[in-house]
Amino acid sequence: MSNIKSDTSEALTRTGSIQLLWLGLAATVGIAILMALLSWASALTGSSTATLDAIDEDSETVTLLLRTEPPQLDSTRATDSVSISLLGHVMEGLLRFDENNQLAPGVAERWEIREDGATFWLRPDARWNDGIPVTAHDFVFAWRTALAPENASEYAFILYPVKNGELINSGALPIEALGVHAVSDRILEVEFEQPLAYFEELVAFSTYNPIREDFYRSREGRYGADVEDLLYNGPFQMTVWVHGAHVRLEKNQNYWGRDRIRLNVIDMPYFTTDATSALNLFKDGKVAVVDYLGAEQLDEVLQQRWQLQRFGDGSVWFLAFNFAPDRVTANLHLRKALQLVTDPGELVNRIIKLPGNLPGESLFPVWLQGVDTFFRQEHPVQQITLDADAAREHLRIAMEELGIESPPSISLLVDDTPGAAKQAEYFQNLYRTELGIDIRIDRQIFKQRLAKMQSQDFDLAVYGWGPDFADPLTFGELFASWNPNNNGRFINEEYDESVRLAQSSLDPKTRMEAFARQQEILIEQVALIPNYERGRVYITDRRLKGVVRRAVGPDPDYTNAYITPSP
Amino acid sequence: MSNLSLTTADFEPIKLQRETQTISRPSLSYWRDAWVRLKTNKRALISLFIIVGLLVFTIAGPWIWTIDPSAQDLDQLSTPPGANRVAKIVAPYHPWAGVTTEPAPISTQPTWATQEVRLAEPATTQAVRLEWDPVPAATGYRVYRNIYDPEPDGALGLPIGEIYDARRVSYEDLLDLSPTRFWYSIVATDDLGREVAEYTTLVVDVVRVITIDQAVVAGLEGPNGPLELGDEVLIKFHPLGTDYLGRDMLARLMYGARVSLFIGIIAPLFFVLIGILYGSAAGFIGGKTDQILMRFADFVVALPFLLFMILFKIAFGIGPGESGIFPMLVALVVLSWPATARLVRGQILQIREEAYIGASQLLGAKTYYLILRHMIPNTLGVILVTLTFAVPTVIFVEAFLSFIGMGVAPPTPSWGSMCNEGIQTMLNHPHELIFPALFISITVLAFNLLGDGLRDALDARMRSRE
Repeated sequence: MSNIKSDTSEALTRTGSIQLLWLGLAATVGIAILMALLSWASALTGSSTATLDAIDEDSETVTLLLRTEPPQLDSTRATDSVSISLLGHVMEGLLRFDENNQLAPGVAERWEIREDGATFWLRPDARWNDGIPVTAHDFVFAWRTALAPENASEYAFILYPVKNGELINSGALPIEALGVHAVSDRILEVEFEQPLAYFEELVAFSTYNPIREDFYRSREGRYGADVEDLLYNGPFQMTVWVHGAHVRLEKNQNYWGRDRIRLNVIDMPYFTTDATSALNLFKDGKVAVVDYLGAEQLDEVLQQRWQLQRFGDGSVWFLAFNFAPDRVTANLHLRKALQLVTDPGELVNRIIKLPGNLPGESLFPVWLQGVDTFFRQEHPVQQITLDADAAREHLRIAMEELGIESPPSISLLVDDTPGAAKQAEYFQNLYRTELGIDIRIDRQIFKQRLAKMQSQDFDLAVYGWGPDFADPLTFGELFASWNPNNNGRFINEEYDESVRLAQSSLDPKTRMEAFARQQEILIEQVALIPNYERGRVYITDRRLKGVVRRAVGPDPDYTNAYITPSP
Repeated sequence: MSNLSLTTADFEPIKLQRETQTISRPSLSYWRDAWVRLKTNKRALISLFIIVGLLVFTIAGPWIWTIDPSAQDLDQLSTPPGANRVAKIVAPYHPWAGVTTEPAPISTQPTWATQEVRLAEPATTQAVRLEWDPVPAATGYRVYRNIYDPEPDGALGLPIGEIYDARRVSYEDLLDLSPTRFWYSIVATDDLGREVAEYTTLVVDVVRVITIDQAVVAGLEGPNGPLELGDEVLIKFHPLGTDYLGRDMLARLMYGARVSLFIGIIAPLFFVLIGILYGSAAGFIGGKTDQILMRFADFVVALPFLLFMILFKIAFGIGPGESGIFPMLVALVVLSWPATARLVRGQILQIREEAYIGASQLLGAKTYYLILRHMIPNTLGVILVTLTFAVPTVIFVEAFLSFIGMGVAPPTPSWGSMCNEGIQTMLNHPHELIFPALFISITVLAFNLLGDGLRDALDARMRSRE
């Protein structure tokens, strides 16, 4: 009896399972067909309507994406590239960068730089977006605000060349002592702390932008926090700022050069750091530019036949050492050993694989201008020949000096992006196989990495430095003993002297020779191991022209962009 | 009549036939019976073989496939399995000065098209060296590279080089060269640095090469005796391909399995053991103690795992770049036992009331005898099933934690961290994601099916059905 029962139940299970199998198959096929249909339908509607989204020829509107939201848009406190790029669109300083990346008159129509100071004559038609003229007083107020100790601006140091700037920032002098005066509404007088060769570059930087005092005071500490908390004197003005979601810029009708501006609206309704989702938005025709691509995305871009462009963003990436006496990296021979096995070319060509990056050879990137031509052409870098045997000899000496038996274990501080992790694993394997040095990878999020660097909690760190102004000093200063960004505390008296000379001298030749000496010291002392000069690959809609990318100043810059009719 | 002859022997009493009392079928113990029934379950049996195979793969594999899982083969980055491995032996790389020309005489008619692009040397994976005829009135050149034909819409591809010097009419490409076909396009720039519309394209088939030194280091041999320049050799074999740093996938999977299976087996063993002790104590003692113990178990269930994992990591002083496997193990053991404890407690409570326990007690059995002889054997089925189901769960947890970077430290692989790395290149090199994901899926499925089979086989109530 029990046998018969179990047989029927067995048979039932078998037919049941066959039915289930068929149902499952039917469901899978059904879903597959549905998906195919849906994607086909979306492709049908997508290609025609979506292209209108990214670029609208009738209203001269361009839709873009932002990598992140700007923390705030107070020019005295802005430090990140997104804020600086936006400020470049809605604000204008005394000078600005034009479509060829040259300095051009901004609010100042002419100027004169002397050894002890400078005078700027402001144009009469420069106005704020409420119609009131921009005056010299607005600059005086902005510069004083940026230097006021209670404002704690991270970029206050960029105003130190102005007389008494540093003393005011440290609280030793009242802000009224700053060496800048409004002679009249239209004449601005600046006194220098010491002779200065690159002041024109500086005044184009966003920290030097004007702020109108009555408006600033009326916002009661909320200046720059929202769309109505800002006054604009640039080519565009912000009309929408939904935090975390949407920024919209529209042409400023009160801008003196409004005839030059051809776009009406720059709409930024997408915020994303993810290159894949950015690429998908571009694919769907939702955005006109994707300004950040990874090596993984390139194959798809090639397959889609999109137009790729590249530019060097001016930054230099290198391995920084910790020079604290209790760290093994303070030992010169150890650093030398690492230097002699590191091949930046291999890193760039095999590991990073993005076109546009240049193998790093020096702290001073190739694009810096020297006296007549490029600085690096006038002062070529001392070439390092890779030599694993010599490196092992240096390591042996280092181990003797440090009194250790086996190669040390070193921590490497990196960002937690996939790209950084990949490079870190490359270095880990390189130093392990060539020298037997064990590298512990310390992956941290960006803010935490900066915090750990500032507290000197690392042996080796991947460090990137972008220029604030187009002079070798922006890089050379980095390893001066007094610079707070010299995180590893590299201290070298000759180097410091050479930086002081470059800061105070007005003779281009003396200055360039000082930088050349700094370049030599850095390589002799192995203060850093250059990795690469970063390049970016980006894609632009073929109808959008005139987008300017630059290493120094607001980037990307759409103020000169225009739309060409689709063919 | 006469043929009936009786002897005295016929009147002997029949011997007691003991054989009739013996059982005709061999006696089956509980375990033997379970094994017999497990054997009839094909799925469970196959799963068991897979698990044994995985253990062999993990433990014995690295002895047979002796490749260092963190060695980077930079000549074979992200190679899929079964890729062509033929390479030509060449001399070591030597820098190339490039080609420069004198500026073209002004009298030449300005024409923007480049006349011809040539290869200065045969194109190899070491370097592709291009040179071209100077374009009159050009101020510089840009070099593009594509893996598709730029025609018809002029999609030139990757902007790999910019030359600002009009006299320089050559470019050396070193960027991520692979043995494939490239379309190189040269565009001249005008006096404002803008590209002109015309371009010239050259199709280049890149040949894979390795230098003689590399070949010697890798222990490669030529077809006839020592290696010579121009010989064709087969470079290092990677049966499952390589990852984004040229590391052997098979070796990484084996070492990754060590981490995944280690934690997947050790952690459940420990927390199931704790669960048995805790649960049987609670169930057997009963009363107030049981209440208190089980409320504490409820409290432990409510603790968040990830938070504790991080706390343990800090408490044990695990620095950055060091393996987080030990804190993970501790966190798993400390936080996962209540499920088993509840299960065992329920079983014990039930068995305690059974008649045979009462009989045993009446016959004077001691507590330890009751527990050892009656309670534990009767709960063992449940315990084993919990154990087999706990293994895949823990493997998943490990994979997940390594995926988010909380687990192993590089370069140690684990299946989870390999998935995390593979997902970056999923679209271009799917094998880097598929293999570790496949291994996780198969292992988890095998353990689950085995657990399923064990539950059926060990359930005493299902015995009568066969």
